Amino acid sequence: MTKLNRREMGNSSEEDLAHRVLKDIKAPSDLGLLRCVQCGLCTSMCPASRHSEYDAREIIKRVLDNDESIIDDEIIWNCFYCYTCHSVCPVGNSVCEVNQILREMAIQKDVGKKQIESFMSFADSYLAEGLGIIPEEYHGQLKIDYGKHWENLQEQLQDIREDLGLESMYLLPEAKESVDKTLEAIGFKKRVQEIKDVRNRK
Amino acid sequence: MEEIKKFIPTENITLFRSCLVSAEYPGVEASTKYVFDKLGVEYVIDRNQSCCTGLGHYYDIFDELSTTALAARNFAYAIKNNHKQYVPTCATCYAILKTAAKTLNEKDEVREQINQAFRDNGLEELQYTKGDIDARDDITHVVDVLYYLKDKIPENKKRELSSLKIATHHGCHYCKVHFDDTLCGYRNPEIIDKICEVMEVPTVEWYDQKPRHCGGGFRQRYANRELSLDATEDKFLSLHKEKVDLLLVMCPNCQVQFDRYEQVLEERTGDRHYFAILNIAQLVALYMGADPYKVLGIQTHTVNVELILDKLGIEYDPKEDTLHVREE
Repeated sequence: MTKLNRREMGNSSEEDLAHRVLKDIKAPSDLGLLRCVQCGLCTSMCPASRHSEYDAREIIKRVLDNDESIIDDEIIWNCFYCYTCHSVCPVGNSVCEVNQILREMAIQKDVGKKQIESFMSFADSYLAEGLGIIPEEYHGQLKIDYGKHWENLQEQLQDIREDLGLESMYLLPEAKESVDKTLEAIGFKKRVQEIKDVRNRK
Repeated sequence: MEEIKKFIPTENITLFRSCLVSAEYPGVEASTKYVFDKLGVEYVIDRNQSCCTGLGHYYDIFDELSTTALAARNFAYAIKNNHKQYVPTCATCYAILKTAAKTLNEKDEVREQINQAFRDNGLEELQYTKGDIDARDDITHVVDVLYYLKDKIPENKKRELSSLKIATHHGCHYCKVHFDDTLCGYRNPEIIDKICEVMEVPTVEWYDQKPRHCGGGFRQRYANRELSLDATEDKFLSLHKEKVDLLLVMCPNCQVQFDRYEQVLEERTGDRHYFAILNIAQLVALYMGADPYKVLGIQTHTVNVELILDKLGIEYDPKEDTLHVREE
């Protein structure tokens, strides 16, 4: 393992990784990243730390050490986003949210786009209907895990919803139009295209 | 009752629809409506409302700006409809909407960027004004409303449920994301237990792993299946040890993890013990006399709930379930 040098106190640049994390749109204004004392409470409660090489405390250490290689490290993709670390941290840090920001930094490069391209049917569904779905790319395994019952549910869903006295789950046509315009206006369509371009280059 | 610091609405509610409830457990929506009607809660459902993006957000497909812009769009419809109290059935919708409201109120440059995008694209009516939605008081989960009105629940009692052994599983995105707004604790979460208490349904107050996540982990369930199931096993085996009949949840994503994977987990661990999974709104509806198929929608559950109905002496016609494959 390479030895990492922690930046000396008082020498931190506004451009180092920790400060870029703090400036990210996802970072709450009171995120306690720089207050981390490496107590490890996060790791002690973390499902990914318990069951894989992921170590919540180590994620923060590497960010504070300005170790840029963490952005390309596959390990950041093991976080469950359960927010347990976030809820127990004594200094108001959130490994979970730092992780989300690191992944977004990875997505700005090809390395992150490759991690999420298998979830793009969710984006397609949202663009078409304004609704999320269980990603179609994984339906093969799900049919094995969930059995014939689940396939029957997919086929009969609309009838069952009617039997339950529920309105259509789909958005009104004019609502779909305003969702579509919103996604265009905010740049989401462009993002989707960029992720798909990486997939298609394979 | 503990002091409630946040506002809990009983009117002007938009029941915020969840994609997983709609497509996997629609009976959760029907049960919530049934219970709200009995309790005199005033709400609407709005087909202008889009998905909160939650699952896609945590698959890292949606970026923060897009999720926040879509929340601003939804907030605009709720306000225009005079039903700005969003009450989701899903813990992730609840957390996503709160985060978006906080961002829109506190980050002036983000709000302005979104409003500018709306203005440039002929969507002026969707613009968000600081303070339009209060992150604490205008977004509450269904369990908050049930807890607030819990003393009225026994007035609608139709069925005796006290013979069941029940454990509760509280959604992480309800308890842990905005923990200052969580009622009845987040390190030892108890809000579902407190709702059961008024129905005189005893719950296992504490069991090993109680405050832990379900193991779904968003992308992990799909892209990292073994890691996800390893994490689910922790709680699954603990529930087996307690020999519960029923696990109560408050989030459809947790419901998927325990209900759709029970068979897989039994095979994986070699540890067998039947327990059914219900959302707390489904159990309250059952207590109030709701039909198991036409309101609770138990036919969409992978794990049969009929064994629980048998134990309670509740009659049903199994032919109403057209989804489970039966041996003739």
